Amino acid sequence: MTVTAASDLPAEPAQRETSHRAHVLRRLFRDKIAFGAAIVLASVALAAIFAPWVAPHDPYLTDLSKVMQPPSEQHWFGTDNTGRDILSRIIFGARNTLMMGLCGVLIGGLLGGTLGILAAFYRRADGYIMRVVDIMLAFPAILIGLAVAAIFGAGLTAVLIALVVSDIPGVARVARGSAMGVMGQEFMEAGRAVGVSDFTLIWRYLTLNCISTIFVYLTLRFGQTILIGSALGFLGMGAQPPTAELGMMAAQGRDFLFMAPHIATIPSLAIFVIVLAANLLGDALRDVLDPRLQT
Amino acid sequence: MGRQIAHRLLISIPALVGVLFLCFCLMQVVPSDPAMIIAGPDAKKETVDAIRKDLGLDRPIPIQFFDYIVRVAQGDLGRSIISNKKVIEELSQTVGPTVELMLGAMLLAVPIGMALGTLAAVNRGSIVDRIIMAFSVAGVSMPVFFIGLILIQYVGFKWALLPFTGREGPVWAGGLPSLILPAVTLGAVLIGPISRLTRTAVLEVLGADFVRTARAKGLRETAVIVHHALRNALIPVVTLIGLQAAFLLGGAVVTETMFAWPGVGRLAVGAIVSSDFPTAQGAIMILAMAFLLINLIVDVLYVFLDPRVQRG
Repeated sequence: MTVTAASDLPAEPAQRETSHRAHVLRRLFRDKIAFGAAIVLASVALAAIFAPWVAPHDPYLTDLSKVMQPPSEQHWFGTDNTGRDILSRIIFGARNTLMMGLCGVLIGGLLGGTLGILAAFYRRADGYIMRVVDIMLAFPAILIGLAVAAIFGAGLTAVLIALVVSDIPGVARVARGSAMGVMGQEFMEAGRAVGVSDFTLIWRYLTLNCISTIFVYLTLRFGQTILIGSALGFLGMGAQPPTAELGMMAAQGRDFLFMAPHIATIPSLAIFVIVLAANLLGDALRDVLDPRLQT
Repeated sequence: MGRQIAHRLLISIPALVGVLFLCFCLMQVVPSDPAMIIAGPDAKKETVDAIRKDLGLDRPIPIQFFDYIVRVAQGDLGRSIISNKKVIEELSQTVGPTVELMLGAMLLAVPIGMALGTLAAVNRGSIVDRIIMAFSVAGVSMPVFFIGLILIQYVGFKWALLPFTGREGPVWAGGLPSLILPAVTLGAVLIGPISRLTRTAVLEVLGADFVRTARAKGLRETAVIVHHALRNALIPVVTLIGLQAAFLLGGAVVTETMFAWPGVGRLAVGAIVSSDFPTAQGAIMILAMAFLLINLIVDVLYVFLDPRVQRG
């Protein structure tokens, strides 16, 4: 699915590849819910990427004459306890929250996927690798976050480590399961018979055949990863003020819940919308690409 | 059956050692040298060395780790830097409330989740099914603190129906009102996944031969669903509850912090924020062990529920 792999192939399969991709996209977008979720996620992501240009106000600019204002025409989502514009802070906060989720899923996916595929390929290492994975599974993400924050101090790095560690075991199991299936295929044996190197076997033959399963699993994990990250942020283990991060913003607003409930509820709602869209899109993607993952 | 349980116990030992090692590492990162702190800033090098030797800090790490395990087994977790109370005492006061909160949440979430899931499965494809599934997706996507914030704001503050800070004692001593909001908050996040999985499990079982037989011999539909379908659907649901243990534990930490519930999670968060390392590592250790224990219980339950596991 990478450009290099596709360019080596004769023209016809390459065309089939693109038409397959177009087919997947067509099926995905025929599903109205998935289409809506994709649009929501894309707009949040775009707003987050172009935050400095999109945000109507400076997210760090305090204005004590406009403290805790409810939503108005000038401040769509109101202002917080120091008069900062909540919409702008949400756009910047979504940047941190999305980055956190994305990095967690990608790094965790890369490490976990590698472990799983190696376990399936080198049967002798399988037992050891999976034992390590089982032990990692024994630590709930929030606990890892607490422990890492206790060791290195609270911050986005602590949260990121926790998210990566918590994503590894699941991905490793899914990748191993999928790779075991591929290992039983004839072309693996054929590749070995003609003397293809281990590296090529693992990368071109095994990984590229497992990647869509891993990808679907990671899409499904994305929402959960964001939820865990924002819970850690809420507990004060993540981004430190004045940095905007959605979970932390909700925690800060908690102190003013009875005077100005919007300060806490709007960031929480933003997390809910992002995670809901990610989950709906993940579900739809799984139904199209890999129905076997269905629980 | 005894063999399965023994086997499962053996498997959890490496995980337990892992937990202990992590906590041991936590003890190693106390910002400065404990021997220096005890000796004071002006102490001579010999004094510091003597104290270090006395504390066993000069010995190799593996031996120190072994010592640590022995100490933990004796219940010696050190003293809190902040309150100077023994960590084990602080922990023993917080474990009860946490267990109470988790049980309360489960008692709420499991029956409701299973009922909703069964209802959705029996009415597959209907509007009931779709509404229930929409709710469960929403539930899975909801941050724990969102539900808590809304409950605190409306039920606790605006309508003043229930207390929302602290714990007013054990359930049997008039503490029930203060348990309701935290338990509902924590339980609400579990209802979604439980109903979703129950639906899948019941759907699978409803297509099985023995369900057809039960119908063919003229059993009432409720009897078929309750005695045949639901009973068999329990197995995946129990597994799920094991998988959700991490969720439950993480949710408990957030819920306790929100509702000022005097549990282990709140103790851990407070200790980390105030750099109280001994308390933090003790609390994290208890939480990790609780997680191992929940999984162990789920696996044992599994053996009881599914006779096939015993033979396998």
